[in-house]
Amino acid sequence: MSLLLLLIPLITSVFLLLGRPSAARTIALAATLANLAVSLIVCAGFVNDGTFNYEISFPWVAQAGITFRLGLDGVSLLMVLLTNLLSPLIVMSSYNSKMDTESRYYGLLLMMVAALNGVFMALDGLVFYVFYELALIPIYFICAIWGGQDRIRVTLKFFIYTFVGSLFMLVSLLYVYLQTPGAHSFAWEALVQVQLSPETAGWVMMGFFLAFAVKMPVFPFHTWQPDTYVTAPTGGTMLLSGIMLKMGVYGAIRWMIPLSPEAMHTWAPIFIMLAVTGIVYASIIAVKQSDIKRLIAYSSIAHVGLIAAGVFAWNKAGLQGSLIQMLNHGINVVGLFYIVDLIERRTGTRTLADMGGIAKSAPKFAALFMIIMLGAVAVPLTNGFPGEFLLLNGVWNYNVWLGAISGLTIIFGAIYMLRAYGLAVFGEQSRETANFEDVKTNEWIVLGVIAGLVIVLGFFPQLVLNLTDSSVNRILGAVQL
Amino acid sequence: MTALLILFTTAIAVLFAGLTNNRSLLQPVTLIGILLALGATILDISGNSVEGWNDMYASMFHFDGYALAFTGVVLLITALIAGLSGWGFRNLNHTLGDNYGLILFSLCGALCMFSFTNMVMLFLGIEILSIPLYVLAGSRRDDLAGNEAALKYFLMGAFATGILLFGMALVYGATASFDIQFIADCISDGRHSAGMLHVGILLIIVGLSFKVSAAPFHFWAPDVYTGSPNLITTFMATVVKTAGFAAFYRLFSMGFAPAIDFWSMPLVAISALTMTLANTTALFQTNFKRMMAYSSIAHAGYLLLAVLAIGTEGSARALLFYTLTYSLATVCAFGIYMVVAEQNDDGSFAAFNGLSKKQPMLAVAMTIAMLSLAGIPPTAGFFGKYFLFTAAFAKYPWLIVLAVINSAVSIYYYFKIIIAMYFTREENAYSVSVPGNVRWVVLIGLLLIALLTLAPGSVYALM
Repeated sequence: MSLLLLLIPLITSVFLLLGRPSAARTIALAATLANLAVSLIVCAGFVNDGTFNYEISFPWVAQAGITFRLGLDGVSLLMVLLTNLLSPLIVMSSYNSKMDTESRYYGLLLMMVAALNGVFMALDGLVFYVFYELALIPIYFICAIWGGQDRIRVTLKFFIYTFVGSLFMLVSLLYVYLQTPGAHSFAWEALVQVQLSPETAGWVMMGFFLAFAVKMPVFPFHTWQPDTYVTAPTGGTMLLSGIMLKMGVYGAIRWMIPLSPEAMHTWAPIFIMLAVTGIVYASIIAVKQSDIKRLIAYSSIAHVGLIAAGVFAWNKAGLQGSLIQMLNHGINVVGLFYIVDLIERRTGTRTLADMGGIAKSAPKFAALFMIIMLGAVAVPLTNGFPGEFLLLNGVWNYNVWLGAISGLTIIFGAIYMLRAYGLAVFGEQSRETANFEDVKTNEWIVLGVIAGLVIVLGFFPQLVLNLTDSSVNRILGAVQL
Repeated sequence: MTALLILFTTAIAVLFAGLTNNRSLLQPVTLIGILLALGATILDISGNSVEGWNDMYASMFHFDGYALAFTGVVLLITALIAGLSGWGFRNLNHTLGDNYGLILFSLCGALCMFSFTNMVMLFLGIEILSIPLYVLAGSRRDDLAGNEAALKYFLMGAFATGILLFGMALVYGATASFDIQFIADCISDGRHSAGMLHVGILLIIVGLSFKVSAAPFHFWAPDVYTGSPNLITTFMATVVKTAGFAAFYRLFSMGFAPAIDFWSMPLVAISALTMTLANTTALFQTNFKRMMAYSSIAHAGYLLLAVLAIGTEGSARALLFYTLTYSLATVCAFGIYMVVAEQNDDGSFAAFNGLSKKQPMLAVAMTIAMLSLAGIPPTAGFFGKYFLFTAAFAKYPWLIVLAVINSAVSIYYYFKIIIAMYFTREENAYSVSVPGNVRWVVLIGLLLIALLTLAPGSVYALM
């Protein structure tokens, strides 16, 4: 089953890239839906006791202890669900764009989906690293071929930035690998068992942190992010913000902290400080933005900062909060970027000052936008709320002052989101928004599904929390600080 | 050993066949000779006894697993290059047979460099490898840049040979033998004159650094690579580099290993300098061949890590895997470059502009070659770097960190090609057609890269 999650998108991707069929978008949608179905089947047969389900392993370089090993525990399953839930939506949301060589675009998108599934299921250090990097290649091409102005410089910066970060992770992985007994092994269990001195663990943790902090991104490693989000085509932005940045958080939970817990005492306070600084910094910038896409890019930094702070606090509330928030942030941010895309497509502008009065001509659009926006603001009974609540609880337990400062994220979030919504949707109609067309069928489906998820997950956060509960307990139990 | 005999016989046969100037005869004969030698090597690797041969030339040679594996690699790469030669040599008329013959003779020298057990044999191997290359570099006689390249290569090569020979003489003076096993015994017993030995080893390092183009003895490489005919540059960047490093490793692991504490420091410095200098210089290149020249210097810096890792399990295997993946990607890249640049009459990156529209598959192939050279997972080049870095990591963690930073820098210039092919809107007016044999060579090269990606462990079967 776990192999199927990888092979369906991968094979379809190769077929789309080499075969160049004309019905690329339908094939891509079918493949992502098939993957969603498989992940739901996986979910149905899931034994929720914190162990790895659906494990498969083939020797890859047997002599060097490298095995192609995949498996899912609750945390992996949640991320896999997120990936496969969002990928059909991302495919559908690309329907509006006119692209030459469409099959190439969808082929790269599916390669990305395969790599992301691989990252979240890998149980071997090197396999994880390979998938982590593999995800970078398609997104680079997607952003650089179909992106906006200045795309070549921006995407190359993005590529080199993230690649350098992950090379340091490779060095850390290698170091821990060489400490495993016998003929060495990259298996997750073997790597976790290695005991390091606090000093070397500090270096190992730094290597991992550079990789994951760039990917998330945590302040001050975020400088690539706003430009890349704004320049990338909408599908690329959704992949980056909805799923790809979760690779960093997931990597920290699964690999960084379990492999070098000895260094947590020294580094965790600094990491949390950085994360909290990022929350405040990005929120303030977001309030000042006039470009709505850039505003959401900065809001994403703020939200991820809180998720990261919850992880580094390393307690039950923080971890559970970060997991549920990863799912919900993914859903919300994909919805928001889709809305931005629709606005830009219809009005030709992303500047808030040029908008206004959309509600008059497009009431359905305004209502769906409202629901997703409320989810992003974390109003109670929307999906954003339980995550933010748990995260703040976790950071609060770690340190009261940091918890209080992190709480600003909700206030700031309300300010910039409501301001953006008000400027775009209410008020007098402008020249650009005068003939704003309401949602079409495919747009309705995408936004409807997202809005539905915002409400359902807001009412029943327990669905998600139960899924990850025992795995979180097991990870927390296995890692003694 | 059988491979050496087959190659030598083929080379002579090709020289005679060259009298006919029959194009449709020379390439197949060369290719068949190389493939026969490759077949013989594969038989030898898979257990055919070669001991009988080894005792013949007064133990100057020993065809052990190491020698056979590298022999296989260079034969494979030369076979690919011979496949490209139908296009690469299309303008040669009277000297076609000479060119094929010289390549084969040069290859014989490479085989000696893999199997020597005596420094005299090493020296002969290097000379047999180099002298045909001096001629090949200038094989376009009316081309000014080619002549410059040949002269520069010859002068620098002769100079390096002198230094190398001086170093060997000093080592002989210190240990009273050319036999590398005996030298190793002498060093570990302490029966040697330390000062003379150390100066000798240093001079050998300098001489070999010239040959493998490691900084600060690399300055000849960019001009020679750029000026030489494309096919010969391919040969230099792959086979010659592999031969140089295999000999370097063999000499230092079998002969000088006991003195590792002495020679490791200078090599660390050379390695660090080579990769840093080459990668930073490559950033500013606009000519493809010049960029590839600096890239090959940078790879020399990484490959020195294998020599530094002598004594670590897997260092020889890492060297083998790295040279194999590096050579495969380089042959593919040069094959594509040859086709594109010679039809565009333009050697700069601009020749690649818009290639993804004109020849999409060629652009994909070039992308994979560049990703592999940059060492980006999951390409085979990544596993090359992985094996190499793992081997040297325990001893030189900081050098590995530097190497990692350098490989990140290298992305920038490899990606310039990808950017030109895919993202540059202004296209050049030239059309590009792909000759059949180049298509096949690139396809085989890519398949081998893919195979090494899926089963990097296969290197364990080779050695």
